[in-house]
Amino acid sequence: MIDMRVAQYLLTMFIVLSLNFFLPRMMPGDPLSYLTGDPTADMPVAISEEVREKLLAYYGLDEPLARQYTDYLINLAHGNLGWSIYYKAPVSSVLLGRLRWTLLLMGTATLGYVALGILLGALSAWRRGTRTDIGLLVSVFSLGSWPPFFLAMLLIILFSVKLGAFPIGGAKSPTGSNAAGLKLAAEVAYHLFLPSLALVLTHLSGVYFLMRNSMLGVLGEDYIRTARAKGLRKRDILLRHALPNALLPIVTMIAMHLGFLIMGTMFVEVVFAYPGTGTLIYQACTTRDYPLLQGTFLLIMAFVMMFNLAADLLYSRLDPRVRRA
Amino acid sequence: MRKTVSVLILALVLANLLVGCKPALTPTATPVSAAPMLIPGPTSAPRTLTLPGDDWGYPSPFTRYPRGPGYIQMSFLFDTLAWKDERGMIPWLADSWEVSEDGTRWTFYLQEGVRWHDGEPLTAEDVTFTFGYLKEHLAPGFEALSEQIERVEAQDEHTIVLYLKEPIAGFLSDVAGSVPIIPRHIWEGVEDPKRFTGKEAVIGTGPFKLVEYSKEECRYIYEANGEFFKGKPVIDRLVFTKVQDEALALKTRTVDAAFFWGKEIEAVRELEAEPNLEVIEGPSFWVLQLIFNYERPPFDKVEVRRAIAHAVDRSRIVEQVTHDGAIVANLGIISPGTDWYNPQLSPCDYDPSGAEEILDEVGVRGLSLTLLTTGEFVREAELIKADLGQVGIEVEVKSADWGTIDGLLREGDFDLAISGHGGIADPGMLDTPTWPAMVYEDEELDRLFEEQGKTLDEERRRALVWRLQEIIAEKLPVLTLYHPKIWCVYDPAKLDTWFYTKGGIATGIPTEQNKLVFLKR
Repeated sequence: MIDMRVAQYLLTMFIVLSLNFFLPRMMPGDPLSYLTGDPTADMPVAISEEVREKLLAYYGLDEPLARQYTDYLINLAHGNLGWSIYYKAPVSSVLLGRLRWTLLLMGTATLGYVALGILLGALSAWRRGTRTDIGLLVSVFSLGSWPPFFLAMLLIILFSVKLGAFPIGGAKSPTGSNAAGLKLAAEVAYHLFLPSLALVLTHLSGVYFLMRNSMLGVLGEDYIRTARAKGLRKRDILLRHALPNALLPIVTMIAMHLGFLIMGTMFVEVVFAYPGTGTLIYQACTTRDYPLLQGTFLLIMAFVMMFNLAADLLYSRLDPRVRRA
Repeated sequence: MRKTVSVLILALVLANLLVGCKPALTPTATPVSAAPMLIPGPTSAPRTLTLPGDDWGYPSPFTRYPRGPGYIQMSFLFDTLAWKDERGMIPWLADSWEVSEDGTRWTFYLQEGVRWHDGEPLTAEDVTFTFGYLKEHLAPGFEALSEQIERVEAQDEHTIVLYLKEPIAGFLSDVAGSVPIIPRHIWEGVEDPKRFTGKEAVIGTGPFKLVEYSKEECRYIYEANGEFFKGKPVIDRLVFTKVQDEALALKTRTVDAAFFWGKEIEAVRELEAEPNLEVIEGPSFWVLQLIFNYERPPFDKVEVRRAIAHAVDRSRIVEQVTHDGAIVANLGIISPGTDWYNPQLSPCDYDPSGAEEILDEVGVRGLSLTLLTTGEFVREAELIKADLGQVGIEVEVKSADWGTIDGLLREGDFDLAISGHGGIADPGMLDTPTWPAMVYEDEELDRLFEEQGKTLDEERRRALVWRLQEIIAEKLPVLTLYHPKIWCVYDPAKLDTWFYTKGGIATGIPTEQNKLVFLKR
């Protein structure tokens, strides 16, 4: 059973790794096409065929494809992700430099929307049919139907331009800061607030609705009636008996939702000029930076598989029935 | 259950720690006091200037990214023998120079008392070393040096002689005014300069020193070089930081100046109305073109290309798509903002019935073509499609990313494509091997290109370049569409010395970010 799963994961990994290598190379164009640029400061790059060949050789792109593929696999086995052609730096350092910001943003947003969704969902269910419930339903539903980048732009206009309360973007003070420790943390949090708010608001609805439905189901169960009959306080019934049981589907949902969150994060990162992986993937694609593309795809693969695995494991822990099945 | 939650929290805490930040368990945070306010003016308080930026690579001559902005970042740290201001070439590291009669021997006399950021003196040896090193190692922008330069000699500590294989017409601006001089004592032992990214790699003689570079946050911070040979810059701290919307960033004073082009004219008009901002407009060294695949029918016939040129209403594109944020290009490609522009080219009038006549004459009817474009120029493509529909040519617009289009152009697998390029300030740069107009084979065109490239006499060279433009306008390897205008909008209280460099910086970068802007002149 376990072996099967491990084998499955390994096979998936191998297939994805190979796709990572071949897909970018199947796109027309190559990493040396620099023809067009921004008109405000363009300096055309004049490379002759000779120079082009020299550059291809420098990056090892003149080797036969099969050779490049085996080199890629061997390097990967040694933990070497290669050298980014566009960024002129090791792929691993380019990726890690950005990844920590994406993780921070996604982590904060996930924590925010999950906590808020659970809370509001439970509240809605508990107060089913009241004004609170309907108000929440309508507002969460309408917020959830806005694309994240649009909401992000609205937040910037409202909080940054009109009120001047938050910065319009970036992860730290634009002029750079020598802050350290708590001051740095405060600065980072200050810049993190609006982007994560945008993500929390747009991703709230999934958790909220699921929680509300699941809670409604649980509240109708016999053991809740028993708890009521025992004369337990409302709060205890809700928090100790109903909530844990209603949470089960949320875990799966968070894992499944991750893909959407990554996408939403990419857009929000762009709008807030946040130094995450979002723009990196886009840049890697447009410049046909093969090593970097392989690296970013690898990263995404690692993420998705990790969360699948986590959901698999968590679910069986949370629900003993799954474990025994 | 409790365990799960604590695992989740732990993961987040770790993610937080990764960025060197205390665990921020709630998404809310207390705002810290706003960024330090800087008072400009006559006080001796340090002056900071913040400009919108992006990541253009570690600013060494070898690790910067190969386009204009990457060069500009490097130019704050490294100097060249000559430089340019709003009127043209000026002495820089070399305070004078002379050239032999036949144009193959250039002698440069170095400015005395110039020091590298690390305190070492600049000598002729550094200059000879630079050219030798650049010939051996490919640096973006200077790949052709080994084909141009025979040898470089130091006559004494301050005199350098460069021997060229052939005279180069644009030598002063394209080589002497572009090649960054690097310190021999640092680069001598560097085997692979593309992977040399230490602090030493950014030691130059320039007006600024690099304090911080962040690849992921796209930030450069420079501080003034107090020992700079032309005097300490008036800006003490120069910052480039990434912003998503430059207009918004200028409005909120996140940045002190912003740069715009073409279709962004709406933002410029809006900012112009603000009381504390000023605008300057620069020359346009960029051209958008309709590229014909002249290697296969129907565009192998020059008549068909001419018919298309008459069928496309280029001024309507400028009006409706760019809202007059551009000027209609003339057919010779060279920018009207330069000395090389030929104003006598016959204009190409919008004349759909004339176009139809031509098509009838050559018997090309019922065409159905595809037009490739990047997403950026889809609206231009739609108008072209409508115009060509008027003369009975059916066009399908296909939009793809630049890499895809470039690939298809290389393989010659297309009918029509829309694309643009810069560098049209300098007829020398126009001879770029990958540009469609230049790959076009025409004996006279090739001969003229070669000849103008070797002609030092400006008047004679101009005559050749004018003839060159006539041929391009006649043969139409591409149809030029428009030159987008460019603007610099700035807060004069922060800095009011902005100007546009004549002929563009170095090989023709049309930017207002000339390092002279930051100096006392």
